[in-house]
Amino acid sequence: MSASAELRVADFAGLVGAANVRDAGDDDVVHGVRPRLVVAPGTEDEASVVLREASRAGLAVVIRGAGTKLTWGAPPRTCDMVLSTHRLDALVEHEPGDLVCVAQAGMRLEALQAVLVAAAGHRQRLMLDPFPAGTLGGIVATAASGPLRNRYGTPRAVLIGARFVLADGTIGHTGGKVVKNVAGYDLAKLLTGSLGTLALITQVAFRLHPDPPASRTVLLDSASPDHVVAYLNRLRRLPVVPSCVDVLWPDGVVRVRIDGSADSAERQAQGVAGGAGGRVLDDREAALLDARIAVRPWDLPGAIVGVALPRTHIGDLLELASGRVEEVVLRGTLGTGEARLAEDAAAVTGFRQAVATIGGHVVLQRSPAALGAVAWPPGDDVAVELMRSVKRALDLSGVLAPGRFLAAI
Amino acid sequence: MNLPAAATTKRGAASSEPPLFARLRDAVGSDGLITELEQLRTYECDGLTGHRVIPAAVVLPRSTAQVAECVRACQQARTPFVARGAGTGLSGGALPVADGVVIGLARMRAVLDVDLENQRVTVQPGVTNAAISQAVTAAGFYYAPDPSSQSVCTIGGNVAENSGGAHCLKYGFTTHHVTGATLVTADGRVARLGGAVADTPGYDLLGVVVGSEGTLGIVTEVIVSILPLPETVRTLLAAFPSVEEAGDAVSRIIAGGIVPAAVEMMDRLSVEAVEAAVHPGYPQCEAVLIVELDGPASECDSCFDAVQAICRESHASELRVAADADERALIWRGRRAAFAAMGRVSPTYYVQDGVIPRTRLAEVLAGIHGCAAQYGLRVANVFHAGDGNLHPLVLYDAARAGEPERAEELAGRILDLCIEAGGSITGEHGVGTDKACHMPKQFSPGALEAFARLRAAFDPDDLCNPGKVLPTPRLCGEVPGPYRAHPAEIAGQAERM
Repeated sequence: MSASAELRVADFAGLVGAANVRDAGDDDVVHGVRPRLVVAPGTEDEASVVLREASRAGLAVVIRGAGTKLTWGAPPRTCDMVLSTHRLDALVEHEPGDLVCVAQAGMRLEALQAVLVAAAGHRQRLMLDPFPAGTLGGIVATAASGPLRNRYGTPRAVLIGARFVLADGTIGHTGGKVVKNVAGYDLAKLLTGSLGTLALITQVAFRLHPDPPASRTVLLDSASPDHVVAYLNRLRRLPVVPSCVDVLWPDGVVRVRIDGSADSAERQAQGVAGGAGGRVLDDREAALLDARIAVRPWDLPGAIVGVALPRTHIGDLLELASGRVEEVVLRGTLGTGEARLAEDAAAVTGFRQAVATIGGHVVLQRSPAALGAVAWPPGDDVAVELMRSVKRALDLSGVLAPGRFLAAI
Repeated sequence: MNLPAAATTKRGAASSEPPLFARLRDAVGSDGLITELEQLRTYECDGLTGHRVIPAAVVLPRSTAQVAECVRACQQARTPFVARGAGTGLSGGALPVADGVVIGLARMRAVLDVDLENQRVTVQPGVTNAAISQAVTAAGFYYAPDPSSQSVCTIGGNVAENSGGAHCLKYGFTTHHVTGATLVTADGRVARLGGAVADTPGYDLLGVVVGSEGTLGIVTEVIVSILPLPETVRTLLAAFPSVEEAGDAVSRIIAGGIVPAAVEMMDRLSVEAVEAAVHPGYPQCEAVLIVELDGPASECDSCFDAVQAICRESHASELRVAADADERALIWRGRRAAFAAMGRVSPTYYVQDGVIPRTRLAEVLAGIHGCAAQYGLRVANVFHAGDGNLHPLVLYDAARAGEPERAEELAGRILDLCIEAGGSITGEHGVGTDKACHMPKQFSPGALEAFARLRAAFDPDDLCNPGKVLPTPRLCGEVPGPYRAHPAEIAGQAERM
């Protein structure tokens, strides 16, 4: 059945309490699509009932955490309800001796990090650093990462378990709270980066890492693309393990950050400066650079795409960026990052085609709704058929963010 | 299924040969099809030798196209098929299905591409784990996951089981090192999942295929990432007067912010067994701890000093530091031989694989000892102590009436202890045939339903390694199997509610 014109707050008030359902306002618009209701379940069971009822009624549901990445992917074809996870924001467990934490999906990353750092006798962190105000569920659902990706990887590398609710209300979990675990299918991988199109993530378990006590930063400034590439190649041959290697273009900056014991960080930083070049920054300069890179390229207007390419073509990317995009921020040892460009479909497709010639790909992240048609590149035909099949298996009635994903899934 | 039970009846008579055999022979050539009973016996089990099933046929394809053709042939004949690598798995994941076809990937062992600059190696599934490192070590690289069977186990099997190894504490599992794969789907199509470049757009199907135990399709090409060899490796062996004190040392190392490359523990019985078997010269004590650190010299050396101090504070009676690669190899020889060495102290043994939160180690070990006493059996313990992965070895004598049953029951009881502590029924050996019936202990009906739906999305006809991973009524007696979405629902033919 189609969405009822009668859809009212009262229908869901009985499920989650009147205070937790309201008519949607201007601030609730999802990528240009105006929902009618905002529902905020307070427990996993409430979320299950809300989704089951929404599925039965054929209501399209977009899941929202802090709302920092709602415009990633294509706009949903329709959206009747925003399901907000903001009430599911509790820390469930932090066992420092196991280097593991479990939290509800609506907890913000910065709130979790504050709890972890404060744990007596331990210095631990979740080694993810995108969007500090974003929720854990949102970061997983978008597979977002920041500069720490260079050493610690993306959410996929540190997510060890999740609880979820399928669109029909089925509650399940995958993985657990131990790092090593091969029982059952790894649905956590599937949910990571699924943009809320397969299930509602209600709880996540992460592997943590020790928070290194000291940090040193080496800066290479005002470098041409050729110099950047030569520098990265020299860096690669050194016996150092940087946490971050970031390339900023058109700045011509390479930032290398090494975290560890004070002695080791200093020795490795001097090794980088001596063996590859660049200048070791003092703590104040390093902190300023950290803060600057943390917001790039998100602090300025424009469309933002995720870009990934073979590491060996970073120089080519910097060359072809000229005239096509405003700025590029790359993880220098991986060949992944973001580019900011004009909010224009031709600009996106032009950049995508250019990146494809060097073996890379481009996916739209932040964008106005009008760019929805160019959000995704085509996928492998058979893989896309499998994706459709997986979507149907988990979201039988197709109510979760319909159309937001690759191939209009 | 239409196939006659060829393996147990008269063979060789062309008139009684099922049409499927002819099609398989066309696909792989007559030297690639095995239907003779004596040859089929080679494939009747994997490393879990207690379970044996003789398949109707074994095919040995040489290419992705041949695998796809074999799968299409099986699909058309409605005959189940099971992929097999080296057959070293310990959970019966490659156990054949009666009347089914085993698709052996041993002939697909080419290293297809080595790209040192981008740190990627592309291989066929039959390449051994160790061969990948061997192909790149001269250039200063290695492939990180290192299961104990690495010299014989294949990368295809590693992908199926999401294999780890002693060094996964720091470096992670197969899933963290595989960036792309070619998958022959359950109906014989060929999909490219992931790739050499990161962040392939779309669902992370590769992430769910890795560790799916051969139930979502057959992987015929794998792209792995390789790492530069660490500048420094430091290894020590410490002897402790009790398992608790060794466990305490592990906790202090972790609390000290040190992430070793590996932390392995063996108890007295295990030490005695490996000493008798491979003579690594381990000290006789209640618990041996092996700690290995690697990385830049500046980081590694200071952490190594700290680890030695922690071991002394935790009452280590002896510390041995490997002075060179040979001494390191000697320390590891004992650990790598631990399972096989049990034959020295017991005629038969059952290798269990469970995981607990590291902090619950002492408590769970006490529980295991209590249970062992109750069952009148001995249990030797070998652990990946850093990540809480236990390998209790339940020792028994199959010749004594009732002992095999008691051993199996005890092994199951150990899994209960792991789950009660917040852990898992398997850390690296997989669910396979062995533990499918234990899955409901760890997963709710809802979780099992989600797993079953996912599986049906990849294999709606349940032909791809059926009977593994998920419990079924046939397999698990009266325990009800999970809901399975009707293929029509999955295919989208069912109406919206």
